[in-house]
Amino acid sequence: MTRVIEVPAHFDDHSFDQFAAGFGAWPPEEKLLVDARAAQWASPYGLIGMLTAGQAIAEAKGERPLFTVPNSDDVKRYWARVGFFRHAAELFELHGRVPKAAATGPSDVLLDVTPVRAMEDVHQVVEKISETASRILHGELGLERNATMRFSMALSESCQNIVEHAGTSGWVAVQVYSFRRRLGRRVAVIAVSDAGIGFRRSLESTHAKRFGERWGDGAALEAALIQGVSRFRDPGRGQGLAGIKGFLDRWKGKISIRSGTARLSIVPAWDDDLPLADHLPFFPGAQVQITIPAQEAESR
Amino acid sequence: MIETIWIGHLLRETASSPYRNLVTRPTGAAVRNRIEDALSRSDCLTALLDFSDIELLDFSCAEEIVAKLLLAQASHRPRFVLLRGLRDDQHDAIEQVLTHHRLAVAALVSDAEPVLLGWVSPDARAAFACVCRLGRACAGDLAEALDWPEPRASEALEALTRHRLVRPDGDLRYTLLVA
Repeated sequence: MTRVIEVPAHFDDHSFDQFAAGFGAWPPEEKLLVDARAAQWASPYGLIGMLTAGQAIAEAKGERPLFTVPNSDDVKRYWARVGFFRHAAELFELHGRVPKAAATGPSDVLLDVTPVRAMEDVHQVVEKISETASRILHGELGLERNATMRFSMALSESCQNIVEHAGTSGWVAVQVYSFRRRLGRRVAVIAVSDAGIGFRRSLESTHAKRFGERWGDGAALEAALIQGVSRFRDPGRGQGLAGIKGFLDRWKGKISIRSGTARLSIVPAWDDDLPLADHLPFFPGAQVQITIPAQEAESR
Repeated sequence: MIETIWIGHLLRETASSPYRNLVTRPTGAAVRNRIEDALSRSDCLTALLDFSDIELLDFSCAEEIVAKLLLAQASHRPRFVLLRGLRDDQHDAIEQVLTHHRLAVAALVSDAEPVLLGWVSPDARAAFACVCRLGRACAGDLAEALDWPEPRASEALEALTRHRLVRPDGDLRYTLLVA
């Protein structure tokens, strides 16, 4: 029997739980079909979430899932352009015609879907982003002139978390788009996802005891994001997320981390997300989204 | 004597690549090892780390290079450490990691007095600015300049000395730029 997982038509961090719920228990025992035919749009978070699912199934030695590509030519072209299908072809059995990725002029894609397997990849990601980020972050979003460096620092630290904590590889993508419904402004979004052990298992041996019965995915996220702890005994660890929070405070940005069955967010005034969402459908590894809004005219 | 260490050179030697971005802990640790190696072969009292060739410095590298170098100075043959050529975003990274460890370092800013990055008490911060203006000071000088009681000035100078932000010579404390 084949289990069908529908890709939400509008696939972002909010509809991600609907996608995760489609898998049932992990690792899924049935053959899977990821059905993206009705997809109209996917954020970087959605795109790398699908790759993470494929990776997790491959690493669990599951049967290679099927993947039906979107019906919309525009959506297919876009997913091809950001490199999604190139990576998806290694993890899924693709069904449907996939266009070739065509290079176009300046775009809102700051970083294509990129695998992060080793520290060397973090260097490459940072090099690549600095070529294009300044025009968009300063020119279009109105962030301070040297925001590119701070943005790259946030990107670097997020990607390093995969290499250091996940126990496997992961994915990153960065894009600018309009956040019409929630904000009415453009945003730059860094999405990072891995199929690894997740925050709870990463921190369990060093931090579970002091949380007692409260220990779980939510408590692990709280320990990492709010208290700045790390599984390493080195007292200098855990500062990457703290640094990112500092930048986001300055830019009125948002960070949201989903791991296992919980999602913890630092929610700015413009958003109405829950700070902690618990008892969510399980999804492997960890997914991070950093959202930086265009600055309002008076704060520029 | 002051030994200038060009971090950009060390990065290129360490990474064997044209990178100008100091990112990832392993890179930071490798650069710090190079710095420690250079210092072990030097008789200098003060190490001046020049970051002017560096584009990006992330928190991990700020921790691995600056914080761990200062922590090591407390246990090994101690040297004074000064930074130069940093941009605002690099200040942010170093400020954060040093504050986390309650460490501090002086950074030279072109055409301006050195700034303190990291954590010191407000009195020590005021005392540092005053010593930089005067070039050298004893507790009495500082008390007079800041209109403080002498014990308060003495305590602030002691804090700066513990943080290795001034160079002691008898009762006097000198800025680190005095060779």
